[in-house]
Amino acid sequence: MFEMFEYDFMQRAFLAGIIIAILASISGTFVVLKRYSLIGETLAHSSLLGVAVGLIAGYNPLWAAVVFAVISAWIIEYLRSAFSLYSDAVLSILLSGSLAAAVIIVSLGGAFNNSLFSYLFGSILSVTYEDVVTIAIFGTLALGTLLFFSKELYFIAYDEEVAKVSGIKVKFLNFLLVSVVAIIIALSIRVVGSLLIGALMVIPTVSALQFRVGFLKSVVISLSIALFSVILGMTLSFHFSLPSGATIVLCVLGIFILSLIINNRK
Amino acid sequence: MKFNLPIFDIKNLSFIVKGQRILSNISLEIFRSEYIAIIGPNGGGKTTLVRMLLGLEKPTSGEVKIYGKKLSDFKEWHKIGYVPQRASHVDSSFPATVLDIVKMGRTSQGGIFSSFNETDKKLVYDAMAKMDILDLQDKMIGTLSGGQRQRAMIARALASNPEILILDEPNTGVDVASQKNFYALLRKLNQEDKITIVFITHDIGVIADDIARLFTINEKAVICNDPKHLLSCQEMSELYGIDAHLLHNHKHEH
Repeated sequence: MFEMFEYDFMQRAFLAGIIIAILASISGTFVVLKRYSLIGETLAHSSLLGVAVGLIAGYNPLWAAVVFAVISAWIIEYLRSAFSLYSDAVLSILLSGSLAAAVIIVSLGGAFNNSLFSYLFGSILSVTYEDVVTIAIFGTLALGTLLFFSKELYFIAYDEEVAKVSGIKVKFLNFLLVSVVAIIIALSIRVVGSLLIGALMVIPTVSALQFRVGFLKSVVISLSIALFSVILGMTLSFHFSLPSGATIVLCVLGIFILSLIINNRK
Repeated sequence: MKFNLPIFDIKNLSFIVKGQRILSNISLEIFRSEYIAIIGPNGGGKTTLVRMLLGLEKPTSGEVKIYGKKLSDFKEWHKIGYVPQRASHVDSSFPATVLDIVKMGRTSQGGIFSSFNETDKKLVYDAMAKMDILDLQDKMIGTLSGGQRQRAMIARALASNPEILILDEPNTGVDVASQKNFYALLRKLNQEDKITIVFITHDIGVIADDIARLFTINEKAVICNDPKHLLSCQEMSELYGIDAHLLHNHKHEH
């Protein structure tokens, strides 16, 4: 089993995968509790638009993805708070719009090339040492920010209005949360893919919620499920030559079904 | 008892939304240690008025001051404990124990660099003891009864060590026995702890003996300095559009 670590690319992929599992599951807890599950999908598609622009214009696609995801996150939060639009409708509009724009840009710039394909579904082969360093640095900053404001974000997720009345800067923290989530997603799409990162954010948390335990325990369960799925998914992906992102998501889905069965038997 | 500077000073407050006038030229004051009840028909503007006191809605015209300051300049929000209307309705899958919920009451205090310290811990446990929910602290909030959830929400408000408690019909869906305990507790908080209470309710008959003044809100405000008198007066019939005797009898049923 450990022969896969003889390959440098597998070491890089595992390292990147583990960091992404930690980031996606912890940020996913706040996203799910705020009933914002679809934001992962939407921001992933906005990141894809960034990748398309980056590829065509000759910029680093990862940085372009971060910029586009953060701008998209701000638009979503602005529309949600300023116009009281339905959150799911706002997310749906941005998701379709970003994907459509990405496809048009790529088709105008040439063929629907392999580079974009690898961002759609994730590719462990494409993870460079530079990517790992970028993911580690920005991932640590993003995680630090989330943990720093975790009490406030938890209160806001439970009751936004009472949190506001108690003096918490709800508007600022909502923008901060979506910005951090956007950065995490943009960093993750190289490994997990834009079509699948939303699942890695949402499913571990939803599985953890089945156990009906307090906040801290739920975060720990969600994190464990995400880590286990990423490690198992990457191992299976290596041994059976399967696409990494899809294998990881099927693993996490399997654990979700198990958690449903276990908790319904209680 | 005479009071000095009002905690809440509301002047000529009006609120119009989509062409509909919800509140019209409301002026009133709430003083330290008062127990105020707000009554009125559904849709009459009670909740809107309270939301404006808390800065959750902006008035179309008029002004609200807290402790003599404009809402935008007021920073000491921990002095206000708020229990909203839907407090006893919670998402059953939300991952929160009673202790998690009550600890939220300490979240905004001490600045962003502070952690949960001994003072926080004492206030959280004191609040749970006061609400008689210490034995429920490890229970998931979604598994509690309506009355138990209500007590947890009030414990959260009390954990911030408030000077004012604002309650917007938090007893909706709570059984009669729990409600009686709840009213007794509010009386105690007001009389012993000197907490100012602003309570939106329909059960005015039950708390008429406890409250200092009664505000009736139906677009306009009528302030009654003798709540027991109002129970039998013409204003009550006009306010609700029903026979005032019904309300008087309702009082004796409890």
